[in-house]
Amino acid sequence: MNAVPRAQGLAAAQPAGTAAPPILDVRDVHKVFGGIRALNGLSIAIADGEIHCVLGPNGAGKSTFFKTLMGTDRPTSGTIHYRGSDITRLPAFRRARLGLSVKFQNIRAFSDLTVYQNLFVPLRRHHGVGEIPGRVAALLARIGLSGTETRLVKELSHGQQQWLAIAMAMASDPTVLLLDEPTAGMSVEETDKSAAIIRDLNAHGVTIVVIEHDMTFIRALAARTSVLHYGKLFAQGSFDEIAADADVRRIYLGSL
Amino acid sequence: MREPAKPFGRLLAPFNGQQTLGNSRFFWACWLIIVVALVLLPFIGTRYQVITASNFIISAILALSLCLIWGFCGILSLGQAAFYCIGGYAYGIVAMNLIERHGNTNVAILAGIAAPALFAAVVGALMFFSRLKGVYVAILMLVTSLLLGLFMRQTADPSYTMGAAYLGGMNGLSPATANDPQLPSIILGFGEAVAEFDGRGASFYWLVLGIGIAVYLALRWVVNSSFGYVLVAVREDPERAETFGYDVRLVQLGAFCLSAAIAGLAGTLYTAWGTYIHPDGFSVGANILVVIWVAVGGRKDLTAVIVATMVLSWLSIELATWGEISLLMLGFILVGAMLAAPEGAFIALGTGIGRLRARLRGVGRKAPAVYGVQELKP
Repeated sequence: MNAVPRAQGLAAAQPAGTAAPPILDVRDVHKVFGGIRALNGLSIAIADGEIHCVLGPNGAGKSTFFKTLMGTDRPTSGTIHYRGSDITRLPAFRRARLGLSVKFQNIRAFSDLTVYQNLFVPLRRHHGVGEIPGRVAALLARIGLSGTETRLVKELSHGQQQWLAIAMAMASDPTVLLLDEPTAGMSVEETDKSAAIIRDLNAHGVTIVVIEHDMTFIRALAARTSVLHYGKLFAQGSFDEIAADADVRRIYLGSL
Repeated sequence: MREPAKPFGRLLAPFNGQQTLGNSRFFWACWLIIVVALVLLPFIGTRYQVITASNFIISAILALSLCLIWGFCGILSLGQAAFYCIGGYAYGIVAMNLIERHGNTNVAILAGIAAPALFAAVVGALMFFSRLKGVYVAILMLVTSLLLGLFMRQTADPSYTMGAAYLGGMNGLSPATANDPQLPSIILGFGEAVAEFDGRGASFYWLVLGIGIAVYLALRWVVNSSFGYVLVAVREDPERAETFGYDVRLVQLGAFCLSAAIAGLAGTLYTAWGTYIHPDGFSVGANILVVIWVAVGGRKDLTAVIVATMVLSWLSIELATWGEISLLMLGFILVGAMLAAPEGAFIALGTGIGRLRARLRGVGRKAPAVYGVQELKP
C-alpha cells in the first residue's frame, strides 16, 4: 500500500484554503469479491456542494462504489476520506450519523411497514418524536405521496416505491446524498420532477452523487460527470464533454 | 396511522397497529370474553384443569419470548429453553437461600428474570458484535443450551451446592441439607404483608394469568411502538436499517436480552409452579418444542403464538391418552399445519376471520390500512 504518496496528495490538496477540500475523497480503492475485481484502483473526489453524476456500463462498479462509500461494503484496499477524516473503517451506521445517506439501486423499503413507518425509521434516528408527523407530511407532499401514510409499501406502485425510497434517503437531512438510479421505472414527467427535487436539495447545500443511465436526466442536472469502467475512473468532466468523448461513446456502445 | 376517535379507541391505541393482528373492537371484545372465561376457570374446572392451565400459560409466555426475537427481529434462537431454565434455576437457588431470611421470594423472582437477561447480554454481545447471523445464531444457541444441560446433569456430586441449594444433577434442584428449606413456590412480600401463591392452587393460576396478560399487552405495545418499527426494519433488511444510522447490533442485543428476560420470567413461574427444576429443560426437545409452538402459530403475530401454544399443549395432553399413536398424530397435525400455512396456521386463521368480516361488513382486519385506502379516494 503506497500510503506515503497519498498522504502527500492530501497535503497538496489543501494548500492554505485556496480550493475547498473535497467532501468525499476516494483514493485508490480496490474491492475484490472472490475472483471479481469490482473496484480496481478507483480514485474520485466529490466537491462540497456539487451534484456529481456517475456513469458506466453494467458491471463497471458503480453500485459497489456507493456501497463502499456508505460502508455496507469494506474496500479490500484504499481509503475514503469524508471532510478530511478517514472513514474507511467506519461502520455504515456511523457514516449515516456523519451525514451520509443512500438510496440503493433496489428500492429496499421495509415492505411489512406502512409508508409512515418507513419514513419514521430514518427520521427517528435524527429527530424528536414530536417533529416526525410534520416531517413525514412534508416529505410526502414533496414527492407527491400525501395520503398514503397508512398503506403498506407492498401496496404501492413501483414508481411510488421509488419515490418513497428517495424520501427515506432524504429523511435524515443528509450532507451527502447518494442516489443509485433514482429514476428507474419513472415516467418522463416523474423524471423531470426528480431532477427538480435534486436541484432544489442541492440549492439547499446538499452534496449529491447520482448513478444514472437516463441521459436526459443527467443533462437536466447539468452536473460534473465521472465515467467508471472496469472499476476505475475512465473519464471525468462536464456532461457535454463526456457526451462528446469518443472513448466514452465506445464503451457505452453508442448508447449516448 | 391515526385512528378516528371512538370509545375505547384511545385506551387501546397503544396496543393496536400494523404489527399485530386483531386491532378491531370485535377482536378486543372476543379477547375480553376469553380473558373473563379464563379468570372464571377455577370456579368451573377441576383442580387438575387449573394446574394444567397454569402450565399452559407459562408455556405461552415462553413462546411469546421467542416470538419477539424470531418473529419481530428475525433472530431464530434454538436455545430459548436455555433462558427459561437459567431463569428457573436462578429463581430456585436464590429462593432457597433467602426464603428463611426474607420470608418472601421477591429477590428470587428478580434473579430469575435478571440472570438469563445478563447471560443473553454476554452471549448476544459475542454473537452480534461479531456479526453472526441466521443459522449460526440458531445453532450456537442450541449448543449453548446443550452445554449448560450437560453441565447441570453432572452436578450430582454433593460438592455442587450454592448455599442452601444443591444442584443435584439429574435429580434436579434440592436442599443442600435436611435443615435447609425446600424450593418454595411464589411468596410475594409487600413490606410486612405477604401473599402466598401455591403452585397447585387457583391463586397461582390467577397470578400466572395476570402476568401472561401483562406480558402480552406489553409486547403488543412494544412491537407497535417506535422501537417495534425499528425491530421490523432490522428484521426485513438489517443492512438498510444500518444505513439509516441504527447500530443494528445494539437493536438485536436489546431485543435478545428482553426476550431472555421474558423467557426467564416464564422459567421462574415454571419452577414455582412445580417447585422443581431439572436439566432436561436444556434438551433439544425442550428447545424445539418452543420453536414448534411459534412456527405453527405464526412467528409474526403475538396472539397467534399464544393460541398455538395453548392448542398444541392441550392437543398433546389429549392425544397422550390415545397411547402409542399419539405422537404420530401430533406429528401429522404439525406437518399438515406447516404445509397448509407456512407463515403460521393461526395467522392464516386470524387473517381469514378478518377477511370474512371485511366481506360481511366492509371493515378490514387491519383497520388503519383500510382507512388509508379510503383517504386516497376523493
